[in-house]
Amino acid sequence: MARNRYDMDEVLEDSFDFGQLKRLAGYIFPYKKRMAAIIALMLTSSALTMAIPIFLQSIMDKSIPERDMKSIWIYSGLTLLIALYSGFALRMKIKTMSVIGQNIVHDIRRDIFKHLQELPFSYYDDRPHGKIQVRVVNYVNSLSDLLSNGIINTFTDLCNLIFILVFMFVLDVRLTLVCLCGLPILGLVIVFIKKRQRRAWQIQSNKQSNLNAYIAESINGIRVTQSFVREQENTGIFNKLSANYRKSWMRAVTYNFTMGPSVDIISTLTTAFIYVLGVKMILAPEMTLTVGVLVAFTAYIGRFWAPINTLAGFYNSLLTAISYLERIFETIDEPVKVKDVPDAIPMPPVKGEVEFRHVTFGYEPGQKILDDISFTAKEGETYAIVGPTGAGKTTIVNLISRFYNVDSGEILIDGMDISKVTLHSLRTQMGIMMQDSFIFSGTIMDNIRYGNRDATDEEVIRAAKTVCAHDFIMEMEQGYETEVNERGSRLSAGQRQLISFARALLADPKILILDEATSSIDTETEIVLQKGLDELLQGRTSFIIAHRLSTIKNADCIMYVDKGGILEKGNHEELLEKKGEYYNLYMSQYDFLRG
Amino acid sequence: MTPMKWFLSFLKKYRWLMILGLCMTTVVSVLSVVNPYLSGQIVDKVIEGQNYDLLFPMIGCLLLVTVVMGILRFLFQVVLETASQGVLYDMRDKVYRKLLEEDFAFYNKKRTGDLMSRQTGDMDAIRHFVAYVIYVVYQSVLMFIFALIMIFTVNTKLALAMVLVLPFTAFTTYLQSKEVHPAFKRNRDCFSSLNAFVQENVSGNRVVRAFSKEDYEMEKFGVENDKFRAAQVDASKIWMKYVPVFEVLSYVLNIILMLYGGYMVIKGEITLGQMVTVNGYLWMLNNPLRQAGWLVNDISNFATSVEKIYNTYMEEPNVKTPVSGGVKKQLQGGVEFKNVSYRADDEDIIIDVNFKVEPGQTVGIIGSTGSGKSTIMNLLCRFYDTTDGEVLVDGINVRDMDLYNLRDNIGMAMQDVFLFSDTIEGNIAYGRPDCSFEEVKKAAIMADANHFISSLPEGYDTIVGERGVGLSGGQKQRISLARALLKDPSILILDDTTSAVDMETESYIQSQLKKIQKECTIFIIAYRISSIKDADLILVMDNGRIIEQGTHEQLVRAGGYYATAFKNQYGEIPQEILERKGEI
Repeated sequence: MARNRYDMDEVLEDSFDFGQLKRLAGYIFPYKKRMAAIIALMLTSSALTMAIPIFLQSIMDKSIPERDMKSIWIYSGLTLLIALYSGFALRMKIKTMSVIGQNIVHDIRRDIFKHLQELPFSYYDDRPHGKIQVRVVNYVNSLSDLLSNGIINTFTDLCNLIFILVFMFVLDVRLTLVCLCGLPILGLVIVFIKKRQRRAWQIQSNKQSNLNAYIAESINGIRVTQSFVREQENTGIFNKLSANYRKSWMRAVTYNFTMGPSVDIISTLTTAFIYVLGVKMILAPEMTLTVGVLVAFTAYIGRFWAPINTLAGFYNSLLTAISYLERIFETIDEPVKVKDVPDAIPMPPVKGEVEFRHVTFGYEPGQKILDDISFTAKEGETYAIVGPTGAGKTTIVNLISRFYNVDSGEILIDGMDISKVTLHSLRTQMGIMMQDSFIFSGTIMDNIRYGNRDATDEEVIRAAKTVCAHDFIMEMEQGYETEVNERGSRLSAGQRQLISFARALLADPKILILDEATSSIDTETEIVLQKGLDELLQGRTSFIIAHRLSTIKNADCIMYVDKGGILEKGNHEELLEKKGEYYNLYMSQYDFLRG
Repeated sequence: MTPMKWFLSFLKKYRWLMILGLCMTTVVSVLSVVNPYLSGQIVDKVIEGQNYDLLFPMIGCLLLVTVVMGILRFLFQVVLETASQGVLYDMRDKVYRKLLEEDFAFYNKKRTGDLMSRQTGDMDAIRHFVAYVIYVVYQSVLMFIFALIMIFTVNTKLALAMVLVLPFTAFTTYLQSKEVHPAFKRNRDCFSSLNAFVQENVSGNRVVRAFSKEDYEMEKFGVENDKFRAAQVDASKIWMKYVPVFEVLSYVLNIILMLYGGYMVIKGEITLGQMVTVNGYLWMLNNPLRQAGWLVNDISNFATSVEKIYNTYMEEPNVKTPVSGGVKKQLQGGVEFKNVSYRADDEDIIIDVNFKVEPGQTVGIIGSTGSGKSTIMNLLCRFYDTTDGEVLVDGINVRDMDLYNLRDNIGMAMQDVFLFSDTIEGNIAYGRPDCSFEEVKKAAIMADANHFISSLPEGYDTIVGERGVGLSGGQKQRISLARALLKDPSILILDDTTSAVDMETESYIQSQLKKIQKECTIFIIAYRISSIKDADLILVMDNGRIIEQGTHEQLVRAGGYYATAFKNQYGEIPQEILERKGEI
C-alpha cells in the first residue's frame, strides 16, 4: 500500500459489520449487572413519576370538591417523595454511568494503544502520525457520551416503550396495531438514508483525520515552514482541509437532522389516522369502541412516540460512533508482522556472536535492499559498515534488532535464530542508537534513564560522562533536571546525539549498534568519547555505521556495502591494500587537500 | 479583551444566521405549544363533544403544524450548525495563522499535543455551544417565560408562588457553575496531556521499539489514561450533586400547584378550570428546569475551552516585523554581526560575536557540540532576537526588516531534517510550490539527490513519511539541501547538511555549490574540515564565543583549536596522498 499523506483519505480495509458492534458489547458486558441495576432504578422512577398526574387528577376530581385539604397534603407529600426518589435515581445513574462509560472508553483506548506498541515501524512510516493519534484520542473520546448516557437511556426507553405497548394492547388491540404501522414507515426512512448517512460520517471521520494530521505536521515542521516563508501557502492548505472538514460535517449532520422531524411527522400521521379510525369505529353501528377508550388511548400515543424519538437520536449517535469505531477496530486488528512466534523462548543472556546467513530483504515485495548477505561477527568484535547512502547499512542493523523480518535466510545470535526468541528478550539485550535521536519531553535524567529504568542517578551520570555529555548538561541551569520537550529544542543536534548515546549505553547491552551516532559531534569530543568507548566496548559486539572514517578505522572488521551485497570485508589495513572501494572512499577524504 | 469578547467577535460575522436560526426556533417553540393544544381540542371537542364535523379540519391543522414544525426544526438546526461551523472555520484559521507566527521561543516551551488539542478537542466544545447549547437555552428560557406569563394571566398569586423556585434555581446554577469550571479545566488539561503523550509515543515509536520499552510506555500511558478518566469522573461527581437538585426543583412546581392551587380553588380564588389550565402549562416550566443542570455543564465546558484557545492565541511572538512596517528588498548577502550576545533561560548561548561577510563569500563555522553554531544562524534568520548587539544584513538591522522578506532571501538546510508527508517533489518545492518540475530536478541534481530519487519506483512522486522516515539520513539531507537550493537565495545556510553523506557525495555537492550562478553568500556549519576548508572565512566557536577566525591556511598556521582539529581528522595523511600531492 502506498504511503498516505495529510490530504488523502485513508481507505477503510474492512468495513463495519455487526460483529464489531458485538465487540463493543464485549467491552460493555462486564458492567452488565451494575447497568441492569441502574436501569431498574430508572424504570421504577419513571413508573413512579407517572403517578403524579394521577394524584393531580384525584385532587381535582375528589379532594377539591370535598374541600379535603388533608388529602391534598398527602398527595403533595407523596409527590415530594417521588421527586426525591427520582432525584436519587438520577444521581445514581450519573454516578454509575459516568464511571462505567469512562471505564469502557479507558479500556478501548488502552487496547488500541497497546496494539500500537506492537505494530512495526512500517505502520508508522506509512501514514502521518496525526492520523494515528486522532484514533487513540479523539475518536475514542467521541464514544464517551454514547457510552455514558446513550446505552442506559436506550434501555430505559425500550423498557418504557414495552410498558406502554402493554397498556395500549390492553386498551385496544386494533388501535395499537395501527399505531405500530408507523414503525415500518420510520424503518423505510432509516433504510433509505442509512447508506448515505454512513458514508457521510465515514467521509467526515477521514476529513477530521486529515486536518489533524496537517496540524500535527505544521507544528512539528514549524522551523522549516518559517524559514521557507511558507506561511501563506500552508494557511491556504490548512483552510482547504478545514473547509473540507466543515463541508463533510455539514453533510453528515444534515442526515442526522432529518431523523427528528421524520419521527415527528410519522407520529402525527399515525395519531391522525387513529383519530379518524377511532371516530369511525365509535360511529359504526356495532359500537366497537367507546369514547373513553379512545381518549385514554390518545394519551398513550404521545408516550409511545416520545421514547422512539430518543431512540432515533441514539440511532444517530450510533451511526456516528460506528464511523469512529470501525477505525478504532481497524487499528486494533492491524496485523502485527513482527511478533513472537507461538513457541518463542526468551533469549538467554547474549554472548555476542552475530551471524547473517543468506539474508535477503526488501521493504516492499519484490524489492531487494539486501541480497543474499552472509557474515559472522564474533563475540566482542567491532564491525563497521560503510558504503554510499542508501546502500542498506541501516537496514542491516535494523534486521539485527528484528525491526523487520527477513524475506529469506536467517539471522543468528549465539547460534539462535532471532525469529525464534521473544522480541523483548532480544531487544533489551541490545543498545541501539539511531540516526535520528528522538528526545522525549521530560528531564534529561529521564531521557537517559529511558535505556534502563532501574539505573541509579549515579549510573546515569556515569553514562553521560562516558559520552562526554556531562559537562554541557551541568552547564544548564538545572543540570540533569532540566526539562526538554519532545522536539528536543534547547539542545543542539550534537547534544541530542550524546544524550541518546548515553541512553543506549545505560542499557548495558551485549550488542551495541551505533548508527551515525556521532555525525553531529565535533571531532574533538569524538576523540575523547572514543577513548571512553573503547573501554566500554570490551566484551561487547558492536556495529558502527559512520561516514567519518576516523571513527571506524580501528574496527575489527569493516564491511563495504553497496548494491545489496557486501563488496569488501576486512580490517582497515587489509582493505587499503586491496585498493578497492574502501580504498577509494578513504582516499576521497583527502581529495580536498588537492584543491 | 476577555476570552468571551474574543469569542463574540467571531460570532458577530454570523449574527444574521444566528438571528435567523433563533427566529425559526421561536416559531417552532410557539408551534410546539399549538400542537398539544390542538390534540386537546380534538379530544375535548371532537371525540368527547361528538362534534365530528370538526375532525378533518382539525387533523389537517395538526398535520400542517407538524410538517411546518418539522421543516423549520430541520432548517434551524442546519442554519445554526452552519453558523457554528463558520465560527469554527474562522477560529481555526485565526489560531493556525497565529501558530505560524509564533517564534521558536514559543515552540521550545510547548508540547505538540497540547497545541493540537486547542485545534481539535477545544474547538469541538465551541461547536457544540454555538450549534446546540445556544438554541436550547434560548428555547428553554422562552418556554419558561411564556408559560410564566400565561400563568400570570390566570392568577398572579399562583404565578408568584411558582416564581419562588427561581431563586433556588439561580443559586444552584451559580454554585454548580462555580464548582464545575475548575473541574472542566482539569479535564481539559488531562485531555491535553494525554494527547501530548500519545503524540510523543507515536513520534518516538522507533526509540520505544529499539529499547523494547513497550511495557514502560504502557505503564506511562496507563497513568495518563487513568488521570483523564479520573478527571472525567471527578467532573461527573459535581454534576451528580446538582443535576438531581434541578430535577427535584422541577417537581416542586407540581407540588406548588397541588397545594397552593388546590387551596385557592377550595377558597374560591380560582376556578377548577383555571387550575387545569395552569397544569397544562406546567411542562413548559418543568422541562427547562430539568435541563438546567446539563446546560450549566455545557456552558462551563465551552467557557473553559474558549479560555484555553484564547490563552494560546494571545501569546504574542517576540519576533515580528516592526509595527511601522519593515524594509523590503532583494538582499545582496552582506552579513555583519556586531557585538552580538544571546541569552535564553538564564544561559549565555552566544557571547559577544563579531564578524563581517561580503556578499558572495563562503563562511565556514566549526566548533564543539553545543557551542552556538546553529544559534548564530537562527539569529541571522531572526528566529530569535539578540539580547545585545545587532545582526546586520546588507547594513540593515534584521529587526528593521520585514520578517518574511528577510527569510525569503535566506535558504536554509537544517541540521535536523524535517520532511513533510508529501511527495519528494512537493518536499523539494516546499519553498516555491509553483516552480516547474525541471527546476526541482535541477536542484536535486545539484544536491546529488536526483540519482537516488530516480531509482525509486515512483521517482519524484514517492511519498515520504513524516520526518522522512523510510529514507536514509544522507538521502534526507540531500532532499533538504535541494529544498534550500531551489529557493535560489541570496544567503544559503547549510547547517551540518552533509554529516550523513559520504565523502564522494560531499565533494560532488561542494563542486555543485561553486556553480551557483547568482552571487550567494554561503554559511556552512560542519564538523569535517573538508566541508569548510575552502571557505573565505572560517569561524571557530567554543562556548558561545568565536575563538578563532580566518582562512584555512591562517588557522592551520595559528596552531589553535582549528589546527588541532585538522590534525585529529587528517593527522596521519597516508604517504600516497602526500606523494600524489607532490605530483600536482
